[in-house]
Amino acid sequence: PPAHLCLLTLLLPPLSSAAPISPAESISQAYSLALYMQKNTSMLLQTYLQYQGSPFSDPGFSAPELQLSSLPPATAFFKTWRTLDDGERLSLAQGAFLALTQHLQLVRDDQSDLNPGSRILLAQLGTARLRAQGLLGNMAAIMTALGLPMPPEEDTLGLVTFGASAFERKCLGYVVTREYGHWTDRAVRDLALLKAKYPA
Amino acid sequence: MALFVVFQTTFFLTLLSLRTYQSEVLAERLPLTPVSLKVSTNSIHQSLHLQWTVHNLPYHQELKMVFQIQISRIETSNVVWVGNYSTTVKWNQVLHWSWESELPLECATHFVRMKSVMDDASFPEPNFWSNWSSWEEVSVQDSLGRGILFIFPKDKLVEEGSNVTICYVSRNIQNNVSCYLEGKQIHGEQLDPHVTAFNLNSVPFIRNRGTNIYCEASQGNVSKGIEGIVLFVSKVLEEPKDFSCETQDFKTLHCTWDPGTDTALGWSKQPSQSYTLFESFSGEKKLCTHKNWCNWQITQDSQETYNFTLIAENYLRKRSVNILFNLTHRVYLMNPFSVNFENVNATNAIMTWKVHSMRNNFTYLCQIELHGEGKMMQQYDVSIKVNGEYFLSELEPATEYMARVRCADASHFWKWSEWSGQNFTTLEAAPSEAPDVWRSVNSEPGNHTVTLFWKPLSKLHANGKILFYNVVVENLDKLSRSELRSIPAPANSTKLILDRCSYQICVTANNSVGASPASIIVISVDPENKEVEEERIAGTDGGFSLSWKPQPGDIIGYVVDWCDHPQDVLQWKNVGPNTTSTVISTDAFRPGVRYDFRIYGLSTKRIACLLEKKTGYSQELAPSDNPHVLVDMLTSHSFTLSWKDYSTESQPGFIQGYHVYLKSKARQCHPRFQKAVLSDGSECCKYKIDNPEEKALIVDNLKPESSYEFFVTPFTSAGEGPNATFTKVTTPDEHSSMLIHILLPMVFCVLLIMIVCYLKSQWIKETCYPDIPDPYKSSILSLIKFKENPHLTIMNVSDCIPDAIEVVSKPEGTKIQILGTRKSLTETELTKPNYLYLLPTEKNHSGPGPCICFENFTYNQVASDSGFCGHVPVSPKAPPSMLGLMTSPENVLKALEKNYMNSLGEVPAGETSLNYVSQLASPMSGDKDSLPTNPVEPPHCSEYKMQMAVPLRLALPRPTENSSLSSVTLLDPGEHYR
Repeated sequence: PPAHLCLLTLLLPPLSSAAPISPAESISQAYSLALYMQKNTSMLLQTYLQYQGSPFSDPGFSAPELQLSSLPPATAFFKTWRTLDDGERLSLAQGAFLALTQHLQLVRDDQSDLNPGSRILLAQLGTARLRAQGLLGNMAAIMTALGLPMPPEEDTLGLVTFGASAFERKCLGYVVTREYGHWTDRAVRDLALLKAKYPA
Repeated sequence: MALFVVFQTTFFLTLLSLRTYQSEVLAERLPLTPVSLKVSTNSIHQSLHLQWTVHNLPYHQELKMVFQIQISRIETSNVVWVGNYSTTVKWNQVLHWSWESELPLECATHFVRMKSVMDDASFPEPNFWSNWSSWEEVSVQDSLGRGILFIFPKDKLVEEGSNVTICYVSRNIQNNVSCYLEGKQIHGEQLDPHVTAFNLNSVPFIRNRGTNIYCEASQGNVSKGIEGIVLFVSKVLEEPKDFSCETQDFKTLHCTWDPGTDTALGWSKQPSQSYTLFESFSGEKKLCTHKNWCNWQITQDSQETYNFTLIAENYLRKRSVNILFNLTHRVYLMNPFSVNFENVNATNAIMTWKVHSMRNNFTYLCQIELHGEGKMMQQYDVSIKVNGEYFLSELEPATEYMARVRCADASHFWKWSEWSGQNFTTLEAAPSEAPDVWRSVNSEPGNHTVTLFWKPLSKLHANGKILFYNVVVENLDKLSRSELRSIPAPANSTKLILDRCSYQICVTANNSVGASPASIIVISVDPENKEVEEERIAGTDGGFSLSWKPQPGDIIGYVVDWCDHPQDVLQWKNVGPNTTSTVISTDAFRPGVRYDFRIYGLSTKRIACLLEKKTGYSQELAPSDNPHVLVDMLTSHSFTLSWKDYSTESQPGFIQGYHVYLKSKARQCHPRFQKAVLSDGSECCKYKIDNPEEKALIVDNLKPESSYEFFVTPFTSAGEGPNATFTKVTTPDEHSSMLIHILLPMVFCVLLIMIVCYLKSQWIKETCYPDIPDPYKSSILSLIKFKENPHLTIMNVSDCIPDAIEVVSKPEGTKIQILGTRKSLTETELTKPNYLYLLPTEKNHSGPGPCICFENFTYNQVASDSGFCGHVPVSPKAPPSMLGLMTSPENVLKALEKNYMNSLGEVPAGETSLNYVSQLASPMSGDKDSLPTNPVEPPHCSEYKMQMAVPLRLALPRPTENSSLSSVTLLDPGEHYR
């Protein structure tokens, strides 16, 4: 329960408050949320795979070659990543989580159609989307606090996925839940870097 | 010649005309070749869609035609399907035809061509096939897009058990592709280097979420990609079972069926099967919203017969069942109502009910069930019109019944309605049987106390609630008014005190309606006059088997009575006159309890006469306790054990005797004793007493001054009493008595002598030690004075130098210092008042020398050490014993010092102590006080340690409350010297 309360406070819209929040404070908030999210990402992926049948549910299933053009990859060369400035770093993460929220919604819709009885999976997908949205809000607060320009919101999904077969949609869900984990890991590192840069 | 030419010309012309005609006919047919053939694909249904036209058809004419169609795969020569398609063709009509491919169209190029032939009656034979149209090529592969691997068909819906062909297209032939169905590898047939097809026969239903089939492209061990499809396998739609329709009100038909398996699939691929009701006479149709029932409104009153078809349908299949019935034959009545009971009395009642009216002139068949005491008692069938009525008879009085009724259409039985029921209770009737009565009589001088007992009537005989019992007592010996007592239920006994007359007692049970027949008992003048021997019997398996001698004379029956334990309630059993044995068995008999049975004979005058007494246990138990044994007459060779107080009656079994166990050091058992091994494994001797009334045993042949252990336990047929501890007895010494015989007179003699001596003390003194005469008082003195010689004198006592005993008065206050510290002792002059100094006669007493300390060890060493020997200077030559005393534990020392400080503070001033001066020592300047002035370095001194009686208990430091006590002990140390 304390974790939930904590999460609730983290999910509060950060821009609504009249008093400006210091960068350190908003970074710290975002970092806490990212850390909390990190604990549940692998469980979401495992739950998702378990419901999709073979080969997804086979032990040790992994298909790194599966990628989505609509979802930016979380992997980056260290030097490239390290030399990013704050604005670029946050913009990339924000863009990724914006795409992830849309993709998670799509996956949840697909699964409610394919696995209508799987309340656990549907709940986890819903929660993941909510947390991604919360992190987006937190990142926006950091950018405001640092005086960085906000990237424009865009519809990353577009028209690409309609008419996909059931198997393709299962694959899509896999990539989305996997990338959600990768991006959360990256967000933790991003925010840790920022945290060190803007100490309280 | 001209004729020949003419003939030839004619022939040619004829031939020409014939040819012309023929060519005209041919020309008319040839253009009927199918043209403009276009082929399209439907990816969802995996079908080829053909459309074409037929040119040169006669205007406004319909012709029957047959088209032969050929379909090849991969290359034109590989024909996979040939078939005819017959249809009527109109002028300018575009024809359509579809062909479903087993192999997904994406996996192979298909080629289609066709030819046609006229098949119309209006055209005479012979008909010829047209030429083939050109091959039309269909290829979907080009539209696949980028990617290395493709699998088809996507998301196909098939029925369980059907055959499915799937295929993959691999762009790179270097890749090794393996395909799996639910994790199991499948093997296919290569159609071309890029395409492989798999024939899956009889696909199973695995789950409604579909079956995953996937292929993995790899080079070596490196996975290049994964692709898959989901095959949606539906369960086969079942035919609905148990389809039937019925009506309760002729307004609605309620149809029900068993739907069987739900064929719904996930991903919205197929919803649950739908059910539709179709009635063929009216032609009406209704889509049912529930999967197992549907209501059909009856609109036309005239329609009697219905023909229903129930159609179950999903995407793959349609199943239907049909029923044909007459409406009046399917009447399921609503349950009857207004169930009531009229004229209810003790044994019968009238039941009434109503039935929901269906149509006029309807006859109903009704079934009535009568339930009582939780079970069905009777069942009746009755035919009624609208109102039902039934007479229920042979009922039990004062009984609650439940009657219920259900009805059906009598003319065409379809099914019973639900039950409608109601409870009712019959009225009470007078009890039908006399209560079972028995008595116990206590005879006292002048009267009898008769206690009457009766058993409550059974429900069957009570016929209602028993309110009271009437007891009528009538004196048989003299005329007097009979006495009536009314005892309210549920009492089951009453006490009567009767004088010594014969009485007749009548008991009746009464309920609200009336009294039962009377139960009669006669009490004779002397009811229990007979002394009867008690006989022991053994119980068997929770019961007792009793038998008795038949009684001569008129006996109307026997009664056996006994008392229940522990409630102590009199129980009895009535036995017929021709029976002389019975078995008494109840659950109330408990093991280890003695039951006394009395058997009475009942005379015709209803007087009970005691015949026999029996006693026994339903199960004997081992005794629960052991007797308390007394040991008497203990001598050196024997003792007697007795347990007279032990009661043999109140035991959980018949005491058969006792076991006496005896343990001694001797290995051999005494005669009469047997060797026995106890439960703890130790050996001992055992003596068995077979008579339960023999409650003593003389154990003899014992050795003097030996210890014996005994243990007495009773035994029943079930075993002996509980294990208990042995009691020890030690035989006295053989000579001790003799000694007493000698010692007592001796003591007496000594006493006697002492008394005599006391009485005769003067005489003895005079005899044994007479007084020494004083020379001054002697008569000799006068003789000397008489001679007047002044030098001649008797030696004066004062001339001798006697050993002086000096009484030193101790100043107060110094004592505190004495014991305060050792240093103060050395500084103080008056430190040795408590000691007797035996000053030696030698003159070197002023020099340092050893000091001899006489110690009295019977006194507290520690205390004396710390208190009174401590001030003695310790020289290096001090004896070890002395050193030992000096180095006693510090803590004890300190504590004691404290104690003594306290105590000495209370020492009164001016206490005296004694200094003993040897008689042989030379007088020291006549000043006796100078003696103790130099005690710091006492000359060779012998010191007698103070004898201090300090109990050890007090020596241990207990600061305040003990201080006074220790001071008492220490207050007057000088006393010990005297």
